[in-house]
Amino acid sequence: MICCLASDASSPGDPAALEAIARACSPRVAPHGDTAVLFDARGLSRLFGSPEELARDVHRLAAERGVAVRVALASTSTAAWILAHARPGSTVVPPGRDASVLAPVPMGWLATLPEIALTPEAPLRRKRSRAGHYRMAPGPDASQTSNFKLRTSKLTIATIERWGIRTLGDLARLPRADVHARLGPIGVRLHQAACGEDAAPLVPADEAVPWVERLECEWPIEGLEPLSFVLARLCETLSVRLEQADRGATEVMTRLRLVTRDVHTRTLHLPAPMRDARGLRTLMLLDLESHPPPAGIDVVEVELGVAPGRIVHGSLLSRPVPEPDQIATLTARLGALMGETRIGAPVLVDSHDERQCAMKRFQIRDDQAKSPKPENFLASGFSPLACLRRFRLPIAARVTVDRHTPVRVVPSARGVTGGAVVACAGPWRTSGYWWALDKSGWDRDEWDVELADGGVYRLARDRSSGGWVIEGTVD
Amino acid sequence: MKSAALSRLESLLQEKRLDQTVTRSWLPEPGVSALSSGIAQVDRMLGGGWRRGEVSELVGTRSSGRTSVLLSTLARATSQGDVVGLVDAFDRFDPTTAAAAGVDLDRVLWVRGPSLTVESARPDRLTDAVHHAIRALDLIIRAGGFAVAALDVADVPSRYLRALPWTTWLRLAHANEGRDTVCLLVGEAPMGKSPRGTSVRLTSTHQWTGASAQSRRFGGMEIRACTSTVVGQTFRSADEAGPEGPAYVPSKALAPRTSHHAPRTHDLLSCL
Repeated sequence: MICCLASDASSPGDPAALEAIARACSPRVAPHGDTAVLFDARGLSRLFGSPEELARDVHRLAAERGVAVRVALASTSTAAWILAHARPGSTVVPPGRDASVLAPVPMGWLATLPEIALTPEAPLRRKRSRAGHYRMAPGPDASQTSNFKLRTSKLTIATIERWGIRTLGDLARLPRADVHARLGPIGVRLHQAACGEDAAPLVPADEAVPWVERLECEWPIEGLEPLSFVLARLCETLSVRLEQADRGATEVMTRLRLVTRDVHTRTLHLPAPMRDARGLRTLMLLDLESHPPPAGIDVVEVELGVAPGRIVHGSLLSRPVPEPDQIATLTARLGALMGETRIGAPVLVDSHDERQCAMKRFQIRDDQAKSPKPENFLASGFSPLACLRRFRLPIAARVTVDRHTPVRVVPSARGVTGGAVVACAGPWRTSGYWWALDKSGWDRDEWDVELADGGVYRLARDRSSGGWVIEGTVD
Repeated sequence: MKSAALSRLESLLQEKRLDQTVTRSWLPEPGVSALSSGIAQVDRMLGGGWRRGEVSELVGTRSSGRTSVLLSTLARATSQGDVVGLVDAFDRFDPTTAAAAGVDLDRVLWVRGPSLTVESARPDRLTDAVHHAIRALDLIIRAGGFAVAALDVADVPSRYLRALPWTTWLRLAHANEGRDTVCLLVGEAPMGKSPRGTSVRLTSTHQWTGASAQSRRFGGMEIRACTSTVVGQTFRSADEAGPEGPAYVPSKALAPRTSHHAPRTHDLLSCL
């Protein structure tokens, strides 16, 4: 027996209240959006009595919370859902009579079914409320798919209505194979719903637990050192809770209420679920070191966004790589030392301008860690190459040119000796972004030159200004 | 064949747990894990590759091939699925040539120092940059799990490195002891390798191809390497170690550049 609670049209939807009512009756609850919740009512007879008495108790609980609800109890989730939305008050369907009770319901109520009625945003809310901690990122494909399914389902219902089928009973009487032949899988699902059949079993969601720890200080905290003790205490408590629930923190929000009544908030996004108290505290402290609170702290609150714990199988054949939490701690420490923008993995820029480079966040994906390239390195086509050391701030130079070829280089900086050119190759002409108005364009000739000091340098001449620079050395 | 006195001395040091403080042999012992440099001649000279858990050095003058050997080592490590850390004291690393040399950039933790022109920067900024770079290297080593932790101070004037406390390198060696990490220092002169680490001094001759000015290309470098395990000791050359001679490092990353010329207005007009 499944019970469905739906917000009555006369009162605004209160998803928290609906879920609380359902959890007061049963531990197996599946919230759906803001206006409905399903729960498993099997085995509740010793607590609540008959299904009618259960429905009355649900109404009483709703009245205590000031919420007007519609209640339906049926053998399947689909039947309970449709009846709760279609009929006011309480509806109790005797076992095995779902199809007959659904028969007079108009076709339009099929559109309220969760798999049909959910808008692209709704699945997100549903997932989040189910587990209370999932950070779902459906991406454009998922939303497009939802949009498509929604549009197709509503069109299918309209098509069925144009056939003259007005009630669910009319639809249920049609042969399912013929419906499938004409309307495809969506038609079959609608036919199943009209018969009161479920497409999937009820999937209960855990109760959302707030992962928050808070500490009010007797005296305002000044400085990070005393704060570290407070954070350590909060993190240890949270770590124990995470361990018990087999969860890991993916997001850490630190809220510091200051003596000035302002709230200093910092949010850390972790690359992998972590539950190590020491690591979490270190990351928070490093972040607060870079962004310190402007005044003394009265209240410290730490809130976690959590995800299921990571299950990792180590390989006996490959060398272990640093764990994501180790990488997070290391990059946070390095960021505090060198600057956050100076740490990362290098990225090639899609440009003909070889001077450009970029960085991205350094992280090791699990599939990266497990897929090393072939062991036979030398046989795999790699060979050592002469590489360039690039001066990010090029050194200006005076270059003497004879017959369009550099013959002498006198750099402005003392470190590069300069002198006569022993050998040179070039020019390699590159240009680009000449259409841009923001002076990002370039038009230059490049030379590889070997000077008398034994160094091989790359020279560049800007064709618009005629100025020469030393861009780097081959080393 | 070791003498009896040497063996006894070694066993005594081992008892006192001081055996890590002295050099016993310049060649790695059998069974000691080593990471290939990706260059056969250098590997053979090192006795299999860079020793893990030790601090080694790549030293040489400008254009001697230090960066090429370093990137070859990084390419070798990343090709095996390892991750590497590169502390670039003055921001000289060029991702384009590194990628061309076979380095898997996703597996490189690049720590960029300030983009300084060494000769025109204030001394205190240079000192800070060197200190920060060494501290960053220490953090990477202590984090563990990196196959290579490299410190590129090739453009740092030697007076700044000499001004560092002598314990700096000792601490680095101690931090790396027993780990699976190859710590590589890249500089102009020997700095502070660990007792069992190796100093590789590089010299090179440059190859230019093409007979005429129009056809001339920078063809690559012929690198000669010699090693030492004790600072101040005479370097042993690769030629002594074997008959293969110097390693040739072509400039594939540089030479095949074509004259890419995006169309510009006046060029189009001149074509017309």
